[in-house]
Amino acid sequence: MNKYLISKKIVTNDLSTFYSFLIGLSVGITIGSIILLVQGQNPIEVFSLMLRLSVGSIKSISSSLNKATPLILAGLGISIINSVKLWNIGAEGQIFMGGIALNFMYISFEISNSKLSIILLLLSAFIGGSICILLPAAAKVLFGVNEIITTLLFNYIIIGFTVYLVNGPWKDPNSLNFPAATYVGKEVYLPTVFGRLSYGFIICILCTAGVYYLKEKSVFGYELRISGGSALTAIYAGINAKQKAFIAMLIGGGLAGLAGGVELLSQTHRVSTGLSQGFGYTAIIVAAITGMRPLGIFLVGSLFGALTIGGTVIQTMGVSSYIADVIQATTLFGALISQFFFTYKIMKVSEDV
Amino acid sequence: MNQIILEAKNISKSFGKTQALKNVDFYLNKAQIHGLLGENGAGKSSLMNILSGIYQPETGSIYIEGKKIKKLNPDLAARFGIGMVHQEFRLINNFSIKDNLTLSRSNIYKDNFEEAFEKYSDIFSLSAESKTLINELSVGEKQKIEIMKLIFNNNNIMLLDEPTAVLTPQETNQLKISLKKLSSEDNKTIVLITHKLKEIQEFTESIFVLKDGVMVAKDLKTQSVTKNDLITLMMGEIKISKVRKDNLKGNNKLEVKNIFFENNHSNVPTLENISLTVQSGEVLGIAGVSGNGQVELANIISGIEREYKGKVIVNGKNISNQGVRARKNLNLSYIPENRLGVGLAPGVSIIDNSAVKDYFKSRLGPHLSSNKMLDYLNLLIKQFSIKAPDPKAEVSTLSGGNMQKLLMGRELISNPEVIIAAQPTRGLDVSAVEALHELIIKQRDNGAAVMLVSEDLDELFKLSDRIIVLYEGQIVREFKIDEADIESVGLAMAGSIE
Repeated sequence: MNKYLISKKIVTNDLSTFYSFLIGLSVGITIGSIILLVQGQNPIEVFSLMLRLSVGSIKSISSSLNKATPLILAGLGISIINSVKLWNIGAEGQIFMGGIALNFMYISFEISNSKLSIILLLLSAFIGGSICILLPAAAKVLFGVNEIITTLLFNYIIIGFTVYLVNGPWKDPNSLNFPAATYVGKEVYLPTVFGRLSYGFIICILCTAGVYYLKEKSVFGYELRISGGSALTAIYAGINAKQKAFIAMLIGGGLAGLAGGVELLSQTHRVSTGLSQGFGYTAIIVAAITGMRPLGIFLVGSLFGALTIGGTVIQTMGVSSYIADVIQATTLFGALISQFFFTYKIMKVSEDV
Repeated sequence: MNQIILEAKNISKSFGKTQALKNVDFYLNKAQIHGLLGENGAGKSSLMNILSGIYQPETGSIYIEGKKIKKLNPDLAARFGIGMVHQEFRLINNFSIKDNLTLSRSNIYKDNFEEAFEKYSDIFSLSAESKTLINELSVGEKQKIEIMKLIFNNNNIMLLDEPTAVLTPQETNQLKISLKKLSSEDNKTIVLITHKLKEIQEFTESIFVLKDGVMVAKDLKTQSVTKNDLITLMMGEIKISKVRKDNLKGNNKLEVKNIFFENNHSNVPTLENISLTVQSGEVLGIAGVSGNGQVELANIISGIEREYKGKVIVNGKNISNQGVRARKNLNLSYIPENRLGVGLAPGVSIIDNSAVKDYFKSRLGPHLSSNKMLDYLNLLIKQFSIKAPDPKAEVSTLSGGNMQKLLMGRELISNPEVIIAAQPTRGLDVSAVEALHELIIKQRDNGAAVMLVSEDLDELFKLSDRIIVLYEGQIVREFKIDEADIESVGLAMAGSIE
């Protein structure tokens, strides 16, 4: 009788994550095309329209990159937390919490200098995200409570809290009963670089560089890797693994909060239940596809931003915008499955070894 | 004549390339207490797991009451009345004693539980009530419930794996009385797996000895064998290779004074009043069967374990209250027993693992330059001839010998003042062992103080200048190397001191 043994490859290709992304993307496009064909659409026509409308002009490129910004920021946060082999499923809630903390600061304090004001507001969004993950992080390091469950459940709490705020204390009297908070003033809008491209994207580039340094080049990132590899090795090396994990979770939550702050100051300009359109969940896909690599998150996040914009505009052709979601999801599946074959080899062994 | 209740013939079992059991014959006499003696890794647990149906042997057959059993599985074994008490307790902590005892469907005291519970509480001198929750019991009481569970499940063949490891001497004594009653009054057939000679001699009627997967002695009558016979059987012939012992010794580099340590998981003190010194240029061997406090002692000296009483002094400086990093800064190196999992982090790259000792020092920082880290790894690879083709590959892809060379290279390249090496060559092939021994000797000649923890007497005799024997957390004997002989060290390791 033959058995099959799955074992890790000794040498894996450095670019394997990139290749598996490409394979995943082609799987996504193929499945997307099949669905379009079934619906009687010409996939080539639809995809070329999506391409033109998402990256065909300065205006559309900047829209795509604006859309990518919260995905990238939240994805970077997930990636930092994953350095210690922990999962943050709560980026969605942290995005809302970032917006809430920002709005709270905005209505509580008045700062005349608008540049300083923007910086302080974004800082409070970061802190809001950190506060949102504070309890799951403390429960994890103190009692070992599974962070996947707690961060996920916090999404529901925070979204509920948002609903309460925009229907209650923060409700805009001029919103014609639409549940939303009052708009922030134009003086704290994030300015644009060119076209519609918001300064939020510049923050995104800076954060990508910062997270890359933190994860790959700093002593802190090294300590996270060792703690994630083996808690016992961390103790042996004199690393306080729990403290590092706690800090990593606060930073990761903060980045998702910052995503919410940037989105508020550059796009929605107010707190509402539409502040995030599932960015926190899509960010998990982005981070997972790229194997948690900061540069990869930046690139795939940008592509997913373009896909979302493309998906929205093809609705005019009578094609559902969900086609973009289908492509994103199937890309993740394709990428993860091919990543498996890049990392493992399957050997046939006979029973009587 | 004795009635044979269970017989295993010609049993072989291997795991990957290691053969755990080689054509082993084993049998049990009804209503007797048997001892199964052997060093760690001799195959005792493998054999017991085969008898309880957990492992399938590659060759051989098992007969129960003369009937050949085709394929023994745990369910079948339970139906034939074979039950095992494992070293780790398998009780449900937040269930009551009664629930735990009656959980199995093979429970025979459904209707008259209280009556039976009273009877066996008496035999085991258990004072707890049947509705007490397991997590309110002491370790010794849990052990009693584990054994009682076998009785309640109608197991007439009881395999007990190191049952005394967690017991105090008084509890051990009581267990002896209980087991004797069970075999004489209840006709239970009992196997006691142990490497403690004293217990083998006091508890059992018949002794089997395993050595490297081979049954070297069968059904020896306990009364007619001496401790020395057993030691020779268990340890086998040991040929001692020699290294130069003309090393010059200097000042006391490592001093350990009156260490007391208690592990929360057991009610036996793990370390009791340990004091020792190691001089510069000296190798102090710590002999002992594993689990007698060696890991705890090494962890205390290296700063990993902080909850203890006593003093650790390096080069005259009291470091008892200092952490791992402060001790590393005094150039103390620790090669832990568990190379993958403690010394090296599995799932993390070779290059990251090479920096674990001093990643926080400026040589690699302030931020971690990948070039400097790579240079450092290449230095280790060259100096310690490590075969590591891809620095970014996970460390677990290296062979055992190369892993240990990477670990030891990392810990030794800075020529440490004090080296704690625990089981540095366990599981490695001869050439790797030779190379690693040379490294230790080189460090000794450089003036390091080396504390070598090992179960391998060959290694201890070859490298040590002095040997201390740890047994149940205490230093029971100390030998100068030229006055030591294998037999007396072995006897002390097995807890028998004349």
